[in-house]
Amino acid sequence: MNRKTIIRFLLVGLILVFVFAGTALAAKYPKKPITMIIPFSAGGSHDLNSRVFSSIIPQYLGQAVVVKLMPGAGGQTGTAAAVRAKSDGYTLIFTHNYVDQLQPLIEELPYDTMKALVTVWRLNYAPPIVFVRVDKPWKTLEEMMDYGRKNPGKLQFAHSGKWGATFTPGAMMLSKAGVNAQFIPYKGGGPAVAAILAGDADFHLGFPSVIIPHAKAGKVRLLAVAGDKRLKEIPDIRSFKELGFEGGNMDRIIMAPRKIKAERLQILRDAFRKLYDDKTFKKMMGRIGENMEYMDGPEYEKVRARQKEQYKELVRKITGINLPSR
Amino acid sequence: MCLRWDTFGMMSLGLILGMLVGALPGFTTVMAMAILLPISFFLHPLVGIPFLIGIYKGGIFGGSISAILVSIPGTGAAVATIFDGPALTKKGQGRKALEIALYSSVFGDFSSDILTLFFIGPIAIIALKVGPPELAAIVLLSLIIISTTSSGPAVKGLIMCFIGLLFCMVGQDPLGYMSRFTFGIFAIKAGIPLLPMLIGVFAIPEILGAIEKEVSSFMSEKVDLSKVGERLKYEEFRRCFRTILRSTGIGAALGACPGVGQVVAAFVGYASAKKASKHPETFGKGELEGVAAAEAANNAVNGPTLVPLLTLGIPGDNITAILLGAFVAQGLRPGPRLFAEHGPTVFALLVAMLLANILFLILGYLTVPLFARIVTVRKSILLPVITIFAFAGSYVFRSDPFDLQVLVFFGALGYAARKLQFDVSPMVMAFILGPILEYSFGQTVNLAGGNLLHYMFIDRPVAAGIFMLIPAVSVLFVVRGVQRRRKARIQNSLMKGGEA
Repeated sequence: MNRKTIIRFLLVGLILVFVFAGTALAAKYPKKPITMIIPFSAGGSHDLNSRVFSSIIPQYLGQAVVVKLMPGAGGQTGTAAAVRAKSDGYTLIFTHNYVDQLQPLIEELPYDTMKALVTVWRLNYAPPIVFVRVDKPWKTLEEMMDYGRKNPGKLQFAHSGKWGATFTPGAMMLSKAGVNAQFIPYKGGGPAVAAILAGDADFHLGFPSVIIPHAKAGKVRLLAVAGDKRLKEIPDIRSFKELGFEGGNMDRIIMAPRKIKAERLQILRDAFRKLYDDKTFKKMMGRIGENMEYMDGPEYEKVRARQKEQYKELVRKITGINLPSR
Repeated sequence: MCLRWDTFGMMSLGLILGMLVGALPGFTTVMAMAILLPISFFLHPLVGIPFLIGIYKGGIFGGSISAILVSIPGTGAAVATIFDGPALTKKGQGRKALEIALYSSVFGDFSSDILTLFFIGPIAIIALKVGPPELAAIVLLSLIIISTTSSGPAVKGLIMCFIGLLFCMVGQDPLGYMSRFTFGIFAIKAGIPLLPMLIGVFAIPEILGAIEKEVSSFMSEKVDLSKVGERLKYEEFRRCFRTILRSTGIGAALGACPGVGQVVAAFVGYASAKKASKHPETFGKGELEGVAAAEAANNAVNGPTLVPLLTLGIPGDNITAILLGAFVAQGLRPGPRLFAEHGPTVFALLVAMLLANILFLILGYLTVPLFARIVTVRKSILLPVITIFAFAGSYVFRSDPFDLQVLVFFGALGYAARKLQFDVSPMVMAFILGPILEYSFGQTVNLAGGNLLHYMFIDRPVAAGIFMLIPAVSVLFVVRGVQRRRKARIQNSLMKGGEA
């Protein structure tokens, strides 16, 4: 054997080693830490939720989950990065329904989330609560809506950002009730809650963990809970469904690229399922005041398609724009 | 209760981690806190939360370390420190600058924490009273105070201010999310990122300037590793003390107004020190008081910003939002009932905050000489390392390669501005303050519902009052400037007369 053949054999051997190593890698996904993009800034509720699950899920996944905050353009910067990433299952995104299903309807974006991403898991959801300061005259949501109808442009709705998690349910409610209100933007939920407490604006939709303590302290009056169900902590407050409104929850969802291998997607979903029996996870989620109403990937895919249609209707109604068929 | 050894241990660890992270460009305090938050979940509340508070306090000082030594602002809060810090380092007084920064930071922080501890109720009321109209008025007034302090001809300052305002318009408008000046480029839809811009306009010109000097001279430069610069003298500290007091007051007052933040406080503190000084011409050329003014002001914000978090459960910025997470995960839900339900624990935490300042002083005192040593590294090694940090820092901030282009663009702009003798600081200030002003003004117009004058004067007399102050302050500044110039002219003519 001359030197050339030896080198050839070595090369073929090397290639074989790599091929086998490759399949071995594929069989044992995940082989390296998984990056979880969050398209929002530090300190938000997604950040907090992710800190909890990413510190516990490694036990079930066998690899660390690294949170990568990529805020910007109302979630679009991070979403674009997740769509651009390789679909090998090592880059996921932790986002919510309004960025995923509503935003692409509003403007021209370089991606289509429905085509590019698939649901791994819905971690939980947050139902916003309609509330006013106690010195406002309205005792029920109907009374406030009546006032709004009689005084067009007078009712001031403090929201946490256009087409976001408090804007959209509020806008859906107002549009269904036929109320023309003044929309006041605030930089996030915190300042909007402060605006209600200070009496700067009339009403806001806030999340339970923030709002319920203020209600118990007698500072604000709760009028309705978005979504279909009443909440355990405030059993007297009626839900949107009872009042004839629809939708309104913020779904916290973990998405993967649509082209991810089926078995890898299954590994991820199984790990999340196991998480819900974990004692530490239960305890921590309870402490941060979040529910554990998860939804499996395939199930949420159906909800996702349905909500997309709802949002199309809403956008058409509010902006008067006939949307392209996206 | 808070005098546990593990509280001290973790707080010290937090302070050191914070200083390191803050000093590394691109790694912000917020990022460090977010990453280390889960550690606090599994610790006792009186250990976990002081750990995070340590990172917070250390991080803000850490940002000034790199600002002073290599003119890279580690965090946004350190931008005003750049005006005088690097100039002092060039004079061989880097250690002095670091020491005055440390002492002013600790003083600002400590006094604002005490204020917070005693006046938590009144501060909570002020915080709630400051809505969009008041914020707009305060920010506009701050912008006027700041804009009159740039060095060089006023026209050049105004031009740079205008350019900064133009840059802050790029991207989605904050109120309605309409894209402006993006030319269909998706990458700038989120606006121009602050950190790469800061590193670009401040650090790149420094690096290029150092390279321009005759290459041979700095290659053969002799390095004396034993010399880390002079230490701060007591008289120098005493000279700065009035400035530190003033800046602490400004920082604490602005800290009580949600949405203003450390950057604005540092700018206003610096500007007021320059205004009040008998020798404003030394500012920007390596003035200890300049560093003291900025550092005391940005740290004094820390105490009062915690008030809305503790009393209402509403975080004023990203840092307090992370602290909220830490509190909540410990079963302490900040809000109206926090003090009733967990009074002793919260009080112990506040005392731990005070103690953190003392630890901060000790740890800072021990580490400053180590940091000051950085400048003794040979230039041929230091400059490439700084360049790497400038690029790496811009990238890690958002992990977006586009930010590197931003860095290069603003580096070139900063270099050109330096060559043409334009001061870039008005541009940076306008870039930072512009969006806050635009947002709060937009909200005010929305709230007024079409009748702005009625809303301002009838519903919001405080905001209207602050707006009325603006012309008065402007006139005062102009008159003072004219007086100063006249005095200088008289002195000149007297001197000439003497010669004749």
